[in-house]
Amino acid sequence: MEEVSLRTAAKLREFAKKVKGKVGDSSAVLFYLIFLKNSLILFFSKYGSKMGFIRDITLGQYHAGHSLLHVLDPRTKLLASLILMVCLLFAERPGSIVLHGTFCLLVWRLSGLPGRLVFGNLKPFLWIVSVTALVHIFTAEGRVLLIVPVFDWSISDQGLANALVYSARLLFLVLFAAFLTLTTPPTELTDGLEKMMSPLKKLRLPVHELALMMTLSLRFIPILIREAERVKNAQLSRGVSLEGPFLQRVRALLPMILPLFVLAMQRSEELAVAMESRAYSGGQGRTSYRELTMTQNDAAAIGLVSLVFVFTVAMG
Amino acid sequence: MSREPIINSVNFRLHILASLFAALTAVGAFIRLPIPYVPLTLQTFFVILSGALLGPRFGALSQILYLAVGLLGVPIFANGGGPGYVLQPSFGYLLAYPAAAYVIGFILWGWNPSGAPPKLATLRILTANLAGLCLIYLLGVMGLYFNLNFVMGKTTTLAHAVWIGCIVFLPGSVVKVAVATFLVPKMQRVLVMRST
Repeated sequence: MEEVSLRTAAKLREFAKKVKGKVGDSSAVLFYLIFLKNSLILFFSKYGSKMGFIRDITLGQYHAGHSLLHVLDPRTKLLASLILMVCLLFAERPGSIVLHGTFCLLVWRLSGLPGRLVFGNLKPFLWIVSVTALVHIFTAEGRVLLIVPVFDWSISDQGLANALVYSARLLFLVLFAAFLTLTTPPTELTDGLEKMMSPLKKLRLPVHELALMMTLSLRFIPILIREAERVKNAQLSRGVSLEGPFLQRVRALLPMILPLFVLAMQRSEELAVAMESRAYSGGQGRTSYRELTMTQNDAAAIGLVSLVFVFTVAMG
Repeated sequence: MSREPIINSVNFRLHILASLFAALTAVGAFIRLPIPYVPLTLQTFFVILSGALLGPRFGALSQILYLAVGLLGVPIFANGGGPGYVLQPSFGYLLAYPAAAYVIGFILWGWNPSGAPPKLATLRILTANLAGLCLIYLLGVMGLYFNLNFVMGKTTTLAHAVWIGCIVFLPGSVVKVAVATFLVPKMQRVLVMRST
């Protein structure tokens, strides 16, 4: 009995050595993780929803409200997120991570947003965050806390700290961006961007046109999604099949894409005519229904964010 | 039906078309085609079309718009959106879209600002599309490599990056390029019809 277990242990060790020779360092682990993820995508594309032609998206994740964060000027919010994101690049010690964490919580309390909405934004980033954390756990030098038995990878205190810092940085980055888009409607964002960029008009950059085009494409997206759904249903009801051999499926794409494209062209032509008939003539002397104004709140917000910036840079 | 567009408002129409193509590219990320083993979305497909149909300048502009809207926080990239997306490993591919649209537009339109020649040789369209595709993969893999090495802070060899960032997705892209090559002349006709 003992002999068997000894032999198994020896075999296991040999196998581990072989695997380690192949797997090498953790960069290979990373590689295998990503490869696994891609294979999963490939696998599910076969068995994934056949009729789920269009993935559900919630567009413009704006969540209406009257909180302090909602009433801030979009320019303030844009500037603040920019500062915070630069700031996160400087955060390298656990201390500044804690600072950012508390600030994040504070902003969340001020925003009055439901937590599910805010933290749901982290979902698409979870795998990259976990890969980052894993890689850092296994690679840093330091006091060894634990050794993974078969593979001989060691976990050190430094590795744990690095994993915490790097993954927290990514998470906070996503969260700050989420606060911006959850409390500001997209049109207000493009408005704010236009106002912030307007000094660049002197460099002959068509700021107004760019902002207008961004608003237009935002408006086009839900329209096109609806049209795509309609085209799909119309063609399916005419007997176009999305199943069968490979070439047949590829051929079935054409009656989906071409009508969508023609409909989109029609839409854009209608829009052009509508704008021309209302005498749209560019940004010169154009007034807007909502005027952006800065208040004391905005000054306070910028001040607070600058304070966080100074502290982070000081702490490292 | 003549090829002469309405001169005074053609520029205005191109602006609107550019925003339309930005939206199409965004929607393309969410239209998943049920073809086995190939994760196929229509995204690069619309990148190719924007360059081929709008020309280098407006094609690239439409892709820049797409990037700008996504970076502003509207979740129109494959994994969401927002300024934090710069840190995603796949950001290189997105950055390549304007460049690819420009190259494709340039190969098809040349220095001619009023449009591509009405009858384009299939070979020329194919060459343009393949050039665009290569550019997307080149920048995409470079972005991936850079991201893995410097953002996630882990050294990866270039061969690994090429494998996970390119080889796996190549079959789907080839299908897309084939379909796009076939569709460009058809869509060109639709576009000309609309603008006269």
